[in-house]
Amino acid sequence: MKFSPNGLAALAVAAWCAALWAQRTGDFGFGNDDSPVNVKAEFYWSRLAYSTNMASAFGGYGGRWRSWSRDYPKADRQFLIAMHRLTRIDGRPTEQVVTLDSDEIFNYPWIYAVQVETWAFTEDQAKRLREYLMKGGFLMVDDFHGTEDWQNFMRGMRQVLPDSPVEDLQSGDEIFHTLYDIDDKMQIPGEQYVWTGRTYEKDGYQPKWRAIRDGQGRIIVAICHNMHLGDAWEWADDPNYPETFASMAFRVGLDYILYGMTH
Amino acid sequence: MFQFLLKYPSTVFRKGQFVLLAKWPASLLAVTIGSAAIGLGVLIYWKLRQAAPEVRSWRGWVTWGMQSAFLALVLFLLWQPAMVVDELNSQQNIIAVVVDDSRSMNIADSDGRTREAAAVAALAGRVLAGLQQRFQTRIYRLGSVLTRVDDLKDISPEEPATRIGNNLKQLAMETSDLPVGAIVLLSDGGQNTAGTGSSGISRDALQALRNRRLPVHTVGFGREESRHDLEIEDVSIAPSALVNSRVQAAVRLTQRGYAGQKAKLVVRDGAKLIVEREITLASDGRIQTDEFFFPAGAGGAKSLTFSIAPLPGEENLANNAMIRPILISDSKPRILYFEGEPRWEYKFIRRAEVEDPTVQLVSMLRTSENKIYRQGISDPGELASGFPLRAEDLFGYSGIVIGSIDADYFTPLQQELLREYVDHRGGGILFLGGRFSLSDGGWGASRLNDLLPTVLPPGNHNFHRNAATVELTSEGLDSPITQLLDDPAKNAQRWKKLTYLADYEDPGTPKPGATVLAELHAGRRKLPLLITESYGHGRTAILATGGTWRWQMSEALGDPSHHLFWQQLLRWLVAESRGPVVASLPERLLMDEGRVELTAQVRDKQFHQPSNARVTAHIIGPAGVDASVDLTPSTNMPGQYEAEWTAERPGTYLAEVKAESTGDQDQELGRDVVTFQREDGVAENFHTEQNRPLLEQLAADTGGRYWKPSELNNLPRDVSYSEAGISVRNTKELWDAPIGFVLLLALPTAEWLLRRRWGMI
Repeated sequence: MKFSPNGLAALAVAAWCAALWAQRTGDFGFGNDDSPVNVKAEFYWSRLAYSTNMASAFGGYGGRWRSWSRDYPKADRQFLIAMHRLTRIDGRPTEQVVTLDSDEIFNYPWIYAVQVETWAFTEDQAKRLREYLMKGGFLMVDDFHGTEDWQNFMRGMRQVLPDSPVEDLQSGDEIFHTLYDIDDKMQIPGEQYVWTGRTYEKDGYQPKWRAIRDGQGRIIVAICHNMHLGDAWEWADDPNYPETFASMAFRVGLDYILYGMTH
Repeated sequence: MFQFLLKYPSTVFRKGQFVLLAKWPASLLAVTIGSAAIGLGVLIYWKLRQAAPEVRSWRGWVTWGMQSAFLALVLFLLWQPAMVVDELNSQQNIIAVVVDDSRSMNIADSDGRTREAAAVAALAGRVLAGLQQRFQTRIYRLGSVLTRVDDLKDISPEEPATRIGNNLKQLAMETSDLPVGAIVLLSDGGQNTAGTGSSGISRDALQALRNRRLPVHTVGFGREESRHDLEIEDVSIAPSALVNSRVQAAVRLTQRGYAGQKAKLVVRDGAKLIVEREITLASDGRIQTDEFFFPAGAGGAKSLTFSIAPLPGEENLANNAMIRPILISDSKPRILYFEGEPRWEYKFIRRAEVEDPTVQLVSMLRTSENKIYRQGISDPGELASGFPLRAEDLFGYSGIVIGSIDADYFTPLQQELLREYVDHRGGGILFLGGRFSLSDGGWGASRLNDLLPTVLPPGNHNFHRNAATVELTSEGLDSPITQLLDDPAKNAQRWKKLTYLADYEDPGTPKPGATVLAELHAGRRKLPLLITESYGHGRTAILATGGTWRWQMSEALGDPSHHLFWQQLLRWLVAESRGPVVASLPERLLMDEGRVELTAQVRDKQFHQPSNARVTAHIIGPAGVDASVDLTPSTNMPGQYEAEWTAERPGTYLAEVKAESTGDQDQELGRDVVTFQREDGVAENFHTEQNRPLLEQLAADTGGRYWKPSELNNLPRDVSYSEAGISVRNTKELWDAPIGFVLLLALPTAEWLLRRRWGMI
């Protein structure tokens, strides 16, 4: 088959027009692909990829040892399966990784971060996260243990919210009653419980259900200290991991999401 | 000249009835004239063949026309034409001379004299003497009430108000047993009704005059147009508003001598400046309306002053300001929001309402298939059984928001309840776009389809999680719902620049009567976004998206657009939702009178109209006024209770109306508050130009005539043609009127001259 130069030119123009049309009728970056990654949904499980204070050693976001991606993506996807079965939330079956380096994060009003004892923010990142929380965004942090981790976590948190107090949540707080009434909580251990039998790590002997509120008293940062809900979701299908912990982790996660979507 | 040719003044022809006095019927006259004209035509046609060539053209028919007219005139006079007119008997009738005694008559614009002085001078000249030659006269002064005076000296322009209609009605009633033949009214036409800005004579007053066939001859004084003046004609403002809401006001004003200039419009609450706005004045005499919004502020009864800063050389500064009472209510209407799935829109609507102290959002969120999460409830039992099943449970809410939920979720009974909620109870329902909303939720096939302001599109895939931008329509530019900025142009731009919506739904085509306030642009598609409609006693709206939350998350921190829009939308939803008790007054501004007609519409818990409720009004006012008034059931309107009360002092009054059921256990049904204001001596500052249209209309409606002061010589004569009083029916023959003889001579003469010109003679 031979194409004349004019024909090729016409084909090129047609292709260019089609591309232009596709762009005009596009959707500002959400994507039109029907693959699970690009399915459009109301809720996106958004995992925060933060920069770490170990950046110099491991590169921008932790290098090979990427602390933000602990349990990623299995924990996220198993949780989303439970969310899909137990609630009416229209959630995408796959997770979404977000960073503080662009305003894209404002499209995801609920974010989840782990191993936050390693996080560290530039001034712009801290400002963006502060604005995110002040506008109505919700942050859940998980999987950090003991006194030193807490101090490191708070160092980053104080970059974001310098003056906001951290308080211990009570069982009667609304965040534990949005979908399930969780009155008796327990320390939810990571996978290490399977071979150590210990529910704690480092010196984090007691679970700390904590939070930071905004000026209206709404929780904007939910803090799960001395526990590891991510592992409980990730290993919920492991016969050696106790169902009690996994169930509690799912209930807490769902309550936190519904709180973030209602307050 | 008219009277010279026709023998009688024009009034005889205007008020009299034409008759033919001959014994032969009028139809015979027409037949005779017709026959004569035809016969003459045949004769001329016969003779035309033998006539000279120059006559055998149109000239022959001109001759026929003139001769026929002559014959017709002769026949007409033989039938003895005449006018029959009612005429007052001399010395047996009274002429009521009514002189406007209000303060506006003190304006010196009648050849250097005041209007009052000009009126008195006109009467003291030849008018009164002319009237007294044939009639008795009674002189009255017209103000807020009509008063008889013995002498013109007793008239001084001090009355704070002019009530022409009421005064004339009073005159007609008080003199019902007297032979009053006519009324002569000397006035500038400055009629002060209950509210400045309105004018006209009431139907009651006109009916009273017509019943006695009393003609009113009006004599107008004062300049008909001022040279340099700016006047507020009227201010339209809602009687009440919610705390911190945005109040819409429309100021109507006119000006002369300042066309195209800038003026400053100011609204004050006492000494506190609320809003200030620069306006451009329209052409002379044209009524312009400026609409604007301002914050309602804190709760309570307020008297807002709308004023325009004086311009150089203004002749009357007292008409630059107008007061309007308004009640800023701190009641907190409750809105029931039912959402069928957790979504961000729900969260951010709630956050917007948390910051709005005027509305309370009670929400039900279907978190899982069988769980409902409630927020904003007043007690644990509220809505514990799900969406209300009874009218008394649902009708307590002032508005309803339906989110992303299938129509089938609601039972037929609940759907009927929702329809009744809008149609009968007068509530507002807002439908949001979403996965299970509108057409995608099967609402088009539900019994609530009638409620929707659009005809929903077919299919159930009309919801899209694609971006859409928003633009206001021309109606949206004027709506209080969409006012993000006070300046209309900046507001329109602000909407265009708002970040895109997260999703949208095709709401279909707006129904006739619906109003599209905003449109969305999704790619090449342009669809209605915010549509409102009145339905029954209530209203409905569609916001065809669940993605306005991006306005909060993606606009700059502190940008109020999202919250402001939602607060205004939800306030609109409940603004006109009536409570179980709605108190009202015909006029909130009482100009120089204190009579108040208080009305209350009462509904019970099911919003039925009880006829045995106990309804009382507690009224407080200036100088310690504190009164309690019982309202009695109306005989005409079920559920309506009425009372009359008099506000003796000028000032602001507040009336709280409370209704209680009178069953075995007294139970409060509800209460409402209205505010009103009495103002004395202010109305005369407005409409100070002579209101000639009103005087002309009054004269025309009663069979009188409008007179200029310079034309009063014939007034005493014309007044005598009246059906009122003691009158006789006189026949005025016309056969000997000079016009007849003139025509009898003119027609043959003209024919002779034409014939001579054509060379036939």
